[in-house]
This record gives sequence, structure tokens and C-alpha cells, in this order.
Amino acid sequence: MAKKEIKLNENDPAVSRRDFLKIGSAGAVLGAVGLSSITKDAAANRLDKHLVDELVTIHDEFPVEVRADYVPPRNWDHVQYRSFFADAVKAIGEEVDDEIVADGQAFAQKMNFAYDDSKIGYTKTDKALLAGAWAMNNFSAGPSPAGVPDFGVNTWEQKTKKNPHALFDNDYVAKEKATFKSKQEAANQIKRAAKLYGADLVGITRRDKRWDYSKFLNPIPPLARKAFAGPPSPEQLEELHNWGPDKFVTDWSDFPFVPKTVIVMAFEMDYEGISTSPSLVGSAAAGAGYSKMAKTPYQLAVYLKNLGYQAVSAGNDMGLSVPYAIAAGLGEGSRLGQVVSYKYGPRVRLAKVYTDFDFVEYDTPKSFGVMDFCKKCMRCADACPTKAISYDKEPSFDPTHENKDNAWYNIKGVKKYHVDARKCFKLWGELGDDCGMCMASCPYNKPNFWHHRLVDSITAAMPGPVHSFMRQMDEVFGYGNVEDHESIKKFYSPKGKSYDGH
Amino acid sequence: MIFSGIEILFFTLGVITTLAIGTTYYFNKKLTFTAGTWATLGLGIFLLIFCIAWSCSSVLEGEPRAASMGLVVFGIPGLILLLLGRKLAIKKPISKQV
Repeated sequence: MAKKEIKLNENDPAVSRRDFLKIGSAGAVLGAVGLSSITKDAAANRLDKHLVDELVTIHDEFPVEVRADYVPPRNWDHVQYRSFFADAVKAIGEEVDDEIVADGQAFAQKMNFAYDDSKIGYTKTDKALLAGAWAMNNFSAGPSPAGVPDFGVNTWEQKTKKNPHALFDNDYVAKEKATFKSKQEAANQIKRAAKLYGADLVGITRRDKRWDYSKFLNPIPPLARKAFAGPPSPEQLEELHNWGPDKFVTDWSDFPFVPKTVIVMAFEMDYEGISTSPSLVGSAAAGAGYSKMAKTPYQLAVYLKNLGYQAVSAGNDMGLSVPYAIAAGLGEGSRLGQVVSYKYGPRVRLAKVYTDFDFVEYDTPKSFGVMDFCKKCMRCADACPTKAISYDKEPSFDPTHENKDNAWYNIKGVKKYHVDARKCFKLWGELGDDCGMCMASCPYNKPNFWHHRLVDSITAAMPGPVHSFMRQMDEVFGYGNVEDHESIKKFYSPKGKSYDGH
Repeated sequence: MIFSGIEILFFTLGVITTLAIGTTYYFNKKLTFTAGTWATLGLGIFLLIFCIAWSCSSVLEGEPRAASMGLVVFGIPGLILLLLGRKLAIKKPISKQV
């Protein structure tokens, strides 16, 4: 039987099935040979290096302009501190803003004691989720989120020997210092330790006094700052007896060592959780992040102490995490005031470890187009019900919002977008949760999937007008919705989740 | 769960890409594509494969609306380009009237 061949054009040579199979086989062999000749590692490295060279700018200096008259803030120069610790602020002769105090009281009252079973996202079960999420922070780091240092695991104490009352205690500075062959080896080991302990991103930068709080207000008596590890000494009891406002304020002269290095860590917050913003579920996602911030930096501090170096862990206390994260190469500044990281967008919490160890390879700041995108996007500014986020096209050294004349809570002299924290905090008081709508709506806040990395890279390579289009597309594609009850159902739904690992 | 979905997706994409390249090559042998036909078919195939990749990934990440929009934004132009490419491929050159 003659072989049947399809001939659509008489002038063309026909391709038989045999030829077709030959072509296919040859292609497969060529593909296999090609793939095996380029190892996965080499291919990935080459592609990654090319992309980094094209899209990521590496800076030698801090990539944000800082004016000569910039003054580092004190730890009570923000709305939360002056609200939650209003009495301590008054006791040292500083002013408090009654409106902000009232907002903080409303927030604390609702968040700690209120729930409403008729309101999706604010039910008793959501409240329980929130309580569990914050538990580790509350137990071990206490008021660190509001900026109070030297509490619990974030103690400034640098013991030199084991606690005699504890069977196991590694929280002391070892006598012999560990040495490393190179600065890079030291950086690699420190970063690996941070990852092991739970950090999602980690960078190492030099200590920069510009980003440290210049003074610290801490009204908590030293004896009450840590769990008892044995009976209090007579000196401690004497200190407690004499405790008062004259001892509330400390500065770096009271710090036990001169820090040279700051290790900055970022912790991813749950995507589905943050997507429920504003709700207690969203706040639980933030709270779980705060609990990670209480645990991992302390472990890293103990690790450094066991290397023979002094170390103090910190969450929001000690200094400004955002510029430190930028300096350590973890991300860029943004319109919403938070660091936008390459992998998780703004959906990260930040923490730090201060140490006197400096034989280490420091990271450099990196930018990948976030601030350029922010100039056009404004999705977070649209999402914020209180309009606390600036609509300015360009960042500025000073706040431009309507409260700018009394914006003691804004950092002046750094070229950035200034958020009106007063308006933001008012919403916290109204909602009884810590909002997060700006973060949820940000186009950089995406699940960790390949196609978002691709879109981010394409966007970074494109000029300004494309950014506006991409923002519109982000909305059309259904990302970044806020005040969406469906997202809460989705958070709790077992669909697509495997709890038993099968 | 042996496969999370993303592995199956990319394996399938590999199969589809291989078939698409093979089929295009096969018809090129028969019909001899012009540069315009190559460009139209190539872009159409790329968009359709990207549409499958995008939409399946969006379903896997739990964003069904993004998946639907992916079908519209990448799938429809891909289909149109493929049909146009087919039309260009089978179009006979106009012979001169004697």
C-alpha cells in the first residue's frame, strides 16, 4: 500500500511521518545535549546575573538624599509611643497630643477586649487568631513594637557567664572570640544562621547613627523588663525602689558597647492574611510577624554572643528599621513609607541585631525601580480611607500633608514620601486593628509566583507611562482588593491547602 | 500531594511548546512561510502558551480573576494571531492573468 502524503503545495517537498519523527528525535537529542552541557546552576546564575545587571541598581552609598539639617528622632517621636505611653512622655516634661492619646486608647480597647460576631473579620474566632499571633511578642519582647528597647529578649545586658539558677543558658558572651578566614565567610555564616532561625531575608550593614534613635524613653523598671531568672538582688530591689521619671531617659552612653554592625532581617507576613485587611485576621498576620521578630533576632544575638561578640536584638526599638533595611540591600523605600522588598513587596516585618562584630562583608543598597513605579502608581494612596498617604508626584524632604506644621512624627530632611501618621492612627482607633490596606493594595504585594517576578522585572525595565498602565492592569486582574469579605472566607478555607502534607 | 501543580504545568508547557515548534516546522516545510507568517504565528503561539502558563499559575496561587483576565488579555490576541497566521500561511500567491 502506497504511503499517503499530504501535499498542500506541489512545489514543496513532502514531509513524511518518518521525516517528522526524525525531526522530533533530533530535536529531543539536541535539547538533551544542550541542557546537560549547561548545568542548572550555571544557567540560572547566568540568567540571574544578566537580569540583576539589567534591572537592579547597586549603590555604593545610601540611595536616598539626606539633608544636612536632618536630626535623628528619639524613640518617643512617633504617634504610637506618645499615645500608649502618654503618662511617661508627660512625666519627662514632653507634650502629648490628646487626640492621638484618645485614638490609641480606642485602638487598644477594641483590639484587646472587643469582638463582634456579626461582623466578618472581627468575630471571637478572629480575635483568638489575633491573640495567638501576638502571643510570642507580648511574652518575650513586650512593648518593642511601640519602640521601647531593653525589654525581655531584647535586653541590653551582656552577661559573661551562665545564669547559675538555670540548667541550660547560652545567653552570655563567650570568652574566646571565633575567627573567620574571610569577611565573606563570616557574612555567609551569619546569614545562614539568621535563615535557620527563621529570617526570610537578611542583610548586613554598618551601624549608622543617623538611623538610630538619639535617646530612649523607657518607663519600665529594670526588674520588670525580664522574666525572673532567680531571686532579685538587693541592688535590683534598691533600683526598683528609687525608680522614677529622672531615670526614664537613656541614650547610647548607657548602651553596653559601641555597635559597629547591624544585621537586618525581614520576615514575610502571610499573603492571604494581609489580603483580608482591614480585619483582625490581617492584624493577626502582622502579629505573627511581630512574634517572629521577637524570636529570630534574639536567637541570632545569642549566636553572636557565643561567637564571643556582644549583641543586642531589636524589633522596632533602637532605631529606624526602614533605612537600615534599605542600607542592607533588603529593599527600597516607597510611597506608603514601608520597605518594598524584591521577593515579598511591602509584606514584610523588619528586625535588627546590633553587634560590635565588624570582620564581615557588608551588603550594599539595591534598587529595582520601586520609587519610579511609586511616582505613577498611587494605589496605596487611593486605598487609604483617611488619605494619610501622599499624592505628591515626587518625594520631598519635608512633609506636605495638611498636618505638616505640627508633624513632629515625620522624619524631616530625608527625601521620601511622608505619611500623615496622625490620620493613619485615627483609623486604627476607629477600626480596632492595625489596618494594612496600603500594604494589601500595593502592586508589589503578590504571592511568590514566577509570573509576578516576570511582571516586576518587565515593569522595572519600562518607562514611566507603562507604570500607570501596569497599575490599572493590577486592579483589573483583581489583585490588591481591600475591605473584601471574600478574602476572609478564602483565608480560612481549606481549599488549596494541605494541612497533613499529603 | 506528589505534585503541587506547578511541576505538572511546566512539564505540560514543555510538551505543548515542543508540539507547537514541531507542527510549525512541519507546515513550514509544506507551505514555506513568509517572514510575516513566521512573526504572526510565532507571536500567536507564544501568547497562547503564556496564556496557559499565566492562567494555570493564577489558579494555583488562588487568584481566579487574574486567571480569567489572563485568558482574555493573552488568550484572545493569541488566538486571533494564530488564525491570522493560518490565513497568511495558506494564502496562495496571486498568479498573473495571461
